[in-house]
Amino acid sequence: MAQGATKRSHRKKHQAELDLLPVMNLFCVIIPFLLLSASFLEITTITMSQTQGINPNAGGAVTNLAKSEEERVQAKVVMTDEELFVGTAFGLTSVGSSFQVRDNGETYLTFDFDQLEQMAGEMRDTLMNHYDIEFRKIVVLTTETMRYENVIRAIDAVGKVGFTEPGLQVAPSASVEGEAERGLQ
Amino acid sequence: MSAPTKRHVPLLLGYNKTKAVARSGDKKARLNLTSMIDMFTILVVFLLKSYSAEGQLVTVSEALTLPKATSEQKVEMKLEIVINREAVVVDGDPVVQVNQQLLATGGPIPSLVTRLNDHMEYTRQMKGTITEDEQKINIQGDVAIPAILVQRVMASCSEAGYSLQNLEVIKEEGGRS
Repeated sequence: MAQGATKRSHRKKHQAELDLLPVMNLFCVIIPFLLLSASFLEITTITMSQTQGINPNAGGAVTNLAKSEEERVQAKVVMTDEELFVGTAFGLTSVGSSFQVRDNGETYLTFDFDQLEQMAGEMRDTLMNHYDIEFRKIVVLTTETMRYENVIRAIDAVGKVGFTEPGLQVAPSASVEGEAERGLQ
Repeated sequence: MSAPTKRHVPLLLGYNKTKAVARSGDKKARLNLTSMIDMFTILVVFLLKSYSAEGQLVTVSEALTLPKATSEQKVEMKLEIVINREAVVVDGDPVVQVNQQLLATGGPIPSLVTRLNDHMEYTRQMKGTITEDEQKINIQGDVAIPAILVQRVMASCSEAGYSLQNLEVIKEEGGRS
């Protein structure tokens, strides 16, 4: 025998509702304020070590006044117009040749900086195992016409692996190419 | 055009209610705000993350495209040198015009050294002494300028006593400290 519905079951079920309007008002004030004060482009800096001037004599761009083991070893990146090298005062290794890229209607030469990062990391590990000191200094030797963006990307690539005290040396193409040739021998 | 029939009169205007609406009582139409609140919450979290209480210390001119790097070193408010394709600008003041003659040789640029020396002297007079903090300088360079120009500007800074040079870059993700 079926029983009739109880009084309780006839009662309407009331759902508690939050009044979201104040929250909406708050959001409508906060969002424009945050949009105005937000900085989507963050500017940071790279601190450079002291630069050295160009020696007018070919091959004079790199001084070798050894003050410490680190400075005697002299980790460096050499950028010619054709090729990128990484190494020390005792020898260089080729990272790769330059290639052209087209960006915003502008064509320019660049290099494989991921490869540079990898090779610089391996070189730093080898140096630290061999000399048992922390290597931070590195010199970026480049030609006069080298694009500034390439210089920064090279500094950034070696900075990622621990060479956090970069120096910049700029020399005529002949000097830089001579330096690269001597390093490869 | 004929007048609308009763059937086409809007239901929720308050007047001329249909029987169905009248039977159901005076229920207010409510917007479901939950999804909008969800969206706003995400937006607020994102904006709070990119909010900077310090404000942007440097302004980058439109004639300049800064290179990108992963450095996370914060910008300090120091004397600013801007190098673009046309000129070298010190503290908003064009000092040197970029031309072939300027790019043909190396070493410090005399007029820039003079200008920086003046600034250093002014700082010395104002503060009485030059600390390491006063020897810092910020350099903004356009992506396309040749390396020789950067080197000449840096050599000029060193010559004038600004031995700590910071190159400004746009921060790229995947950073390092």
